[in-house]
Amino acid sequence: MRFTIFQESRKGSRKVNQDRIAYTYSRDTLLLVVADGMGGHAGGEIAAQIAARLFIERFQQEAKPVLKSPLKFLQDSMLRAHAALGSYANQFSMLETPRTTCVACVVQAGHAYWAHVGDSRLYLYRQGGIIGQTKDHSKVQYLVDQGIIGADEVAMHPDRNKIFSCLGGLVDPVIDLGKRTPLRNGDVIVMCSDGLWSVLSKEEMSTWLTSTPILKTAPQMMAEAEKRGGSEGDNLSAIVVRWGPETLTDEPSTTITETLGLGQFETQIDRTLTLTDRKGAQRDLSDDEIEHAIAEIQATIQRYRR
Amino acid sequence: MAVTNQALPGAYQLLNYRIDRQISRGGFSIVYRAFDEMGAPVAIKEYLPSSLVLRTEGDIVRASTAENLTSFRYGMKCFFEEGRALAKINHPNVVRVLNFFRANETVYMVMRYERGRTLQQQIQMRQDQMSERLVRHVFMHLLNGLREVHTHKLLHLDIKPANIYLRTDGTPVLLDFGAARQTLTTNRPKLAPMYTPGFAAPEQYRDPDRLGPWTDVYGVGASMFACLAAFAPQAADARIQEDHLVSAKKIWSGQYSDNVLEVIDWCLRLDPLERPQSVFALQKAIRDIPPKKRKLTFFDALKRKLFSELGA
Ligand SMILES: Nc1ncnc2c1ncn2[C@@H]1O[C@H](COP(=O)(O)OP(=O)(O)OP(=O)(O)O)[C@@H](O)[C@H]1O
Ligand SMILES: [Mg+2]
Repeated sequence: MRFTIFQESRKGSRKVNQDRIAYTYSRDTLLLVVADGMGGHAGGEIAAQIAARLFIERFQQEAKPVLKSPLKFLQDSMLRAHAALGSYANQFSMLETPRTTCVACVVQAGHAYWAHVGDSRLYLYRQGGIIGQTKDHSKVQYLVDQGIIGADEVAMHPDRNKIFSCLGGLVDPVIDLGKRTPLRNGDVIVMCSDGLWSVLSKEEMSTWLTSTPILKTAPQMMAEAEKRGGSEGDNLSAIVVRWGPETLTDEPSTTITETLGLGQFETQIDRTLTLTDRKGAQRDLSDDEIEHAIAEIQATIQRYRR
Repeated sequence: MAVTNQALPGAYQLLNYRIDRQISRGGFSIVYRAFDEMGAPVAIKEYLPSSLVLRTEGDIVRASTAENLTSFRYGMKCFFEEGRALAKINHPNVVRVLNFFRANETVYMVMRYERGRTLQQQIQMRQDQMSERLVRHVFMHLLNGLREVHTHKLLHLDIKPANIYLRTDGTPVLLDFGAARQTLTTNRPKLAPMYTPGFAAPEQYRDPDRLGPWTDVYGVGASMFACLAAFAPQAADARIQEDHLVSAKKIWSGQYSDNVLEVIDWCLRLDPLERPQSVFALQKAIRDIPPKKRKLTFFDALKRKLFSELGA
């Protein structure tokens, strides 16, 4: 496989980043995940983290070297992440289950497959136009479908944050699966949290990303989006993949997976958690977190040693 | 007799430190004097909340129930907060953290050992009142340390004479950042934060969203008050109901400069907005009015100039 990949998550003006993005690929299969945790306390962040990790871990167990059925993998992983959040809440007697949205995409044998829950989105562009996209599980999307409001009113609508399907919710998630879509060189996949799509229309994203080298323009796009979010700006995250060899720039930016050995994976996932949410999630520490905190304190001691 | 946690015995080898003796036992921890492998003294704080009985013998900390373990681990966060806060601060008037590690199923913080005694002990030992010169000296230095703390966006939240250590040369060290446990505002009765009556500001009782530098400023004012009175001012929660606190200006007029007395009263205002809003503002107030109508020597003048430049 050949592709160029960009990923970035920004806090916006929030104290904590509850978005998580991750990707991993083997020689023949690529997995992308965006999760946007919900709710106060540390819950949202933990939820997004658990979902992203679960996808990555399951992928590495199942992509040997390819997934038998990408759509089934996506659906199962969503359900397992949902169950994992429930048992996590149980284990730590949390009053509220941590919840998250999730959009995940698999590319295998030249085809894209995706699934989503909630309002994190996927757009698939070909030559600047949209050829595939997810449809939010949100109240406003319902209003659009009913013809009550226009699509352009979604981003500004006061209820735009109300979603009816998520992982970790009281009811089982509604999972939408995107149909198997063959990719052509130059196609661009964008996956993002609502912090991005609510300030940047899909047409604008197309302008930023489809006819330019993404490693150059995607960071600029993120900076612009964060600026637009202003002092109220939500966390914003994106993974952008341009399929095929990079033809728009001479810079060596194309990932070539053929160099990976069989059974080998390349993974990108942020493992840090903000442990000290000021409101204090009612949760004790795991051994991992203790080790992590100690390592962090020791590093700080070293850094400030004179 | 109530069962209590066992301290580590003398000569106990804790990693590369050898325990000498227990110095103190508090609500969340035991502090030991120990020696490092070079034989230099250090102070080691062991996380061991006294409300949870966790070690009745030996060295390993064991929670007797699952619930105990949860509370123990939960409170550990606060201990980490203290470590995190202190690790960032390298200032002569703030206790220095040298190491932080895990052992015996709990966590330890190693600090530079300071020789001297707490301001609390100093107040209790003295028969006569503390001189204005000493009060100024201690608090001007302490405020330098506190300013550094605030610069790092941290609040101490437990400033009181027991947490101000006086080195043998008279310079102060700010101790015990255990209350930088801002995280511990949730209702876990077993590990509830203990605000010290008399020194805690009113917003610490009722309005945790309004904490700020002025909250520590209240603690500084109360500590200065205690230096003069040898007892703490009326607790802030009681003052809100019925304020019996007599102003420092009234009590000690003539014995101390108006400036110091006014500063104390200013720091002790119940309304956070009416207090000095920053340590800098407070330092400026203490410094601005000349202490005595004494002729300045050349040295005094020079020293003052230097101070004001350093402080600005
Ligand atoms: N670095 C040090 N050098 C010398 N003595 C120290 C040092 N740190 C602490 N001590 C002694 O230990 C006592 C208690 O320390 P500290 O105030 O940090 O803990 P504490 O009040 O027991 O804390 P907690 O409320 O978390 O239990 C101090 O009053 C002081 O006598
Ligand atoms: Mg103390």
